[in-house]
Amino acid sequence: MAAEVETSKVSYGGSSWLGHYPVWIGIKKGFFEKRGLSVDWKLFGTSSARMGALAAGDIEFAGTGSISALALMAAGSKAFYVVAAPESYATVEGIIATPEIKTINDLKGKKLGVTFASSSHVLVLDVLEQAGLDPSKDVTLINLPASDTPSAFKAKQVDAVATWTPAFNVLRAQENAHVLLDDREFSLYKQYQFGPGPDVLTVSRDFADENPKATAAFLEAFFEASDFITREPAEAASLLQDLTQLPLEEQSSVLKDIEWTGRAEQQKIMAQDGAFPKGLQALADFLVRHKQIDKAPKVEGWIKTQVLP
Amino acid sequence: MKAGAITAKYEASSVAAERPHHWRRLRNPLISLISFGTLLLIWEGATSLGLIEPLFLPAPSQIAQRAILMAEQGTLLGHIAASTWRVTVGFLIASLVAIPLGIILGFSRTSRAIFDPILSFLRPLPSMSWIPLSLLWFGIGESQKYSIVFMGAFAPSLLYVIEATKSVDPLLVKAAQNLGARPRDVMIEVILPGSLPQILSGLKVMLGIAWTCVISAELVAAREGLGFMIMNGKEYFQTDTVVLGMVLISITVMATDLVFRFFERRILPWKA
Repeated sequence: MAAEVETSKVSYGGSSWLGHYPVWIGIKKGFFEKRGLSVDWKLFGTSSARMGALAAGDIEFAGTGSISALALMAAGSKAFYVVAAPESYATVEGIIATPEIKTINDLKGKKLGVTFASSSHVLVLDVLEQAGLDPSKDVTLINLPASDTPSAFKAKQVDAVATWTPAFNVLRAQENAHVLLDDREFSLYKQYQFGPGPDVLTVSRDFADENPKATAAFLEAFFEASDFITREPAEAASLLQDLTQLPLEEQSSVLKDIEWTGRAEQQKIMAQDGAFPKGLQALADFLVRHKQIDKAPKVEGWIKTQVLP
Repeated sequence: MKAGAITAKYEASSVAAERPHHWRRLRNPLISLISFGTLLLIWEGATSLGLIEPLFLPAPSQIAQRAILMAEQGTLLGHIAASTWRVTVGFLIASLVAIPLGIILGFSRTSRAIFDPILSFLRPLPSMSWIPLSLLWFGIGESQKYSIVFMGAFAPSLLYVIEATKSVDPLLVKAAQNLGARPRDVMIEVILPGSLPQILSGLKVMLGIAWTCVISAELVAAREGLGFMIMNGKEYFQTDTVVLGMVLISITVMATDLVFRFFERRILPWKA
């Protein structure tokens, strides 16, 4: 198989976020190597930085939150394909609030810290809309990096935060804090089981068109790794510690909250009439309605399902 | 030659002499205008011909459209006002501390020896490096933003003031002292007026630097301001918003520079 791929070196844009676990595991377990691919892991702090690098041709593959992918589509970039939706999670992201905030309506007049242009931001805009609250008038939204949300909450600089794991897990365990809601309250989740910013695996369009075998080999290794995480969570958690720096117990707990979408299921959900493109399109329309992007792209123009044999 | 003819000849030659004078005055602005216009045309042409992808550099017309859209939405002025206010407050506090302290340090070697290590430590620190501490000290409100501008502008402003004070002719200081002036009088009557032109020149430079600090200040816990606008635009790949933010910063700095020059002329009429 190693001789078949057109190129042996590819680079992947990742971070310590759970969506990148399969690539990390794939590198550590040699799943890419046995298919003739040497993957250069490049660390990026944000999805937008990763997607910017992909658009500029600096990396071949990137995992990203779908908000950044949609924003790049809306900006007119045809530089990439969406080739997989690696996983779903609904209970590792949400709003954590002080005990006196019992419902979303209690957020009126309060300060809420959230990373703008993130899935948590989308969740907040959606649940406020569902409750009939205006995010620009009724609640003071404060732009905070996810890593700063625990300290801002503990220092009582905000009354609530919307964040994701590991900050979400850290805050959930705090006294005087409770989970007000999680991704299951997102309107598209109720409709399509689609979270506020599910992860997608993207590949440079030029690279995929010129190197179809290498692209397929990458995906095969990726899904072998996600299967491995499902089958061997203890070993996977141990291997992931180098990436996330989480204690073993906490790392194992994060893995329990993730549902990995296997290779076979991928073809079904990514098909043109599948749940994923529909959800992604609905998310694009949502972002336009909330003035986050100017126009909704036709997402089917970016989804490529025929990569794997 | 009759007197009238002489006058007419004189007037004609004076008009002819004025013409090149007017032309000389208009020449440079005109050249600037033409070069700027040409640059815009080339830029617009390159993007509309597809030579440059708008994602990497949007056309000037696209940036103008974004400005119109944001103005219609009522967000543009809010961003400009928020950043201008943060720069003004942070810069004013930095100046109010740096000017008297710098004069003392410039005047007294002992004070300079005391403060030199602290100043050497503060001077190379970029404003961005203060973000984590400022969040802990001042929280996520406006005072945190002022503090970032303050920390970015304070140390360099202080250095300008110290250097300006040291540049005052020592003979003038000696003369005042020989005439019986007390240290306080020397400072107010001799050093301050002597160093003021250089202090103001330094502060003018620092005002521009304060604008770069506000971008750092608005990276965290902001919901408006030109820095926030640029960063948010970057997250959504709205390059036109990013470039618009940059253009607005330049225009605002130019405008504040004009205001500064106005006050400079009032404070230092002899310099004007």
